Amino acid sequence: MLSRVVLSAAAAAAAPSLKNAAALGPGVLQATRVFHTGQPRLAPVPPLPEYGGKVRLGLIPEEFFQFLYPKTGVTGPYVLGTGLSLYFLSKEIYVITPETFSTISVVGLMVYVIKKYGASIGEFLDKLNEEKIAQLEEVKQASIKQIQDAIDMEKAHQALVQKRHYLFDVQRNNIALALEVTYRDRLYRAYKEVKNRLDYHISVQNMLRRKEEEHMMDWVEKHVVWSISAQQEKETINKCIADLKLLAKKAQAQSVM
Amino acid sequence: MAGRKLALKTIDWVSFVEIIPRNQKTIANSLKSWNETLHTRLANLPEKPPAIDWAYYKTRVAKAGLVDDFEKKYNALKIPVPEDKYTALVDNEEREDVKNCAAFLSESQDRIQEYEKQLEKIKNIIPFDQMTIDDLNEVFPETKLDKKKYPYWPHQPIEDL
Repeated sequence: MLSRVVLSAAAAAAAPSLKNAAALGPGVLQATRVFHTGQPRLAPVPPLPEYGGKVRLGLIPEEFFQFLYPKTGVTGPYVLGTGLSLYFLSKEIYVITPETFSTISVVGLMVYVIKKYGASIGEFLDKLNEEKIAQLEEVKQASIKQIQDAIDMEKAHQALVQKRHYLFDVQRNNIALALEVTYRDRLYRAYKEVKNRLDYHISVQNMLRRKEEEHMMDWVEKHVVWSISAQQEKETINKCIADLKLLAKKAQAQSVM
Repeated sequence: MAGRKLALKTIDWVSFVEIIPRNQKTIANSLKSWNETLHTRLANLPEKPPAIDWAYYKTRVAKAGLVDDFEKKYNALKIPVPEDKYTALVDNEEREDVKNCAAFLSESQDRIQEYEKQLEKIKNIIPFDQMTIDDLNEVFPETKLDKKKYPYWPHQPIEDL
């Protein structure tokens, strides 16, 4: 983590000052030591380990026991610990003072609390972290979805563009239809007009002809009537009456039969 | 006077409706209704008018020469096919439209490219639980705290916490 801090500070020319400070620091040896010249690791920080290093007796890391195992077996570190502590106590290299008792109580209490509640506190804190990460995930997913929607919309618009020619097709169709309709209309009108004229001539002729016929008939009738003299009229009427009587007798005879 | 085969393109009315923007819907509807009106009118008119029976008229009409005269003039009458001034306009419009569409398409492609680049960038960020605050500021620049404007912690107005 410190390396990354140096990395971000490097641009601000803090690194030379760090080296200069080292030069002014105590001891010549430290002036020649240059800090953090290893290749800066730009890869993302590796994930934090899930669990802390294993410890025995709450204090001593497991690595120590493993380190001594090949030489001294399983009991080695314990024997070493017992021996060392007895040695310090007996030779009074370590003096028992009131501090000792307070140390024992504090350390004991801490070990007890951590052992009992450590896991649950860790879970709680993890949960808080999870919530933050979930929120960030949501934002990320929302952006992804937004961009995806934008891409899909663009594609849909491109597809629509392909269909744009229909608009002009409709217009052209309309034009062609209108032209054809007017053309046929005009043809039909010409035909109708000519036919009308011809029919008119014919009907005029017919009418004249009829009028002449009627006139002639009237004239003939008038003359015939006019030519029937009075005498002839009386004779015709008598004959008609005689005929009628005859007919009546015949009809009576028939109805009797 | 012979009828001609009309070269009508088949129209997909669904697509026609799709491409019309909302504010031109009335014009589109009027186009559609015109189309239907013209179709019905066309169906009502026969392709050729019926032929006039000259022999019949020749026998009936008394005036000599009238029918012959009519016949000659009628056959000589040629109704011109109405000339088509408007398809050219439509074609011009279509050409311009094609140009605009091509421009739009290329812009759209560019936009799609950009979107895809952004998408790639967002998809490839490291998982959040392995990020540091610096990484977060790179991916979401709006989370960067302005240390110049607010030099003291928490580097943002307290209301925004």
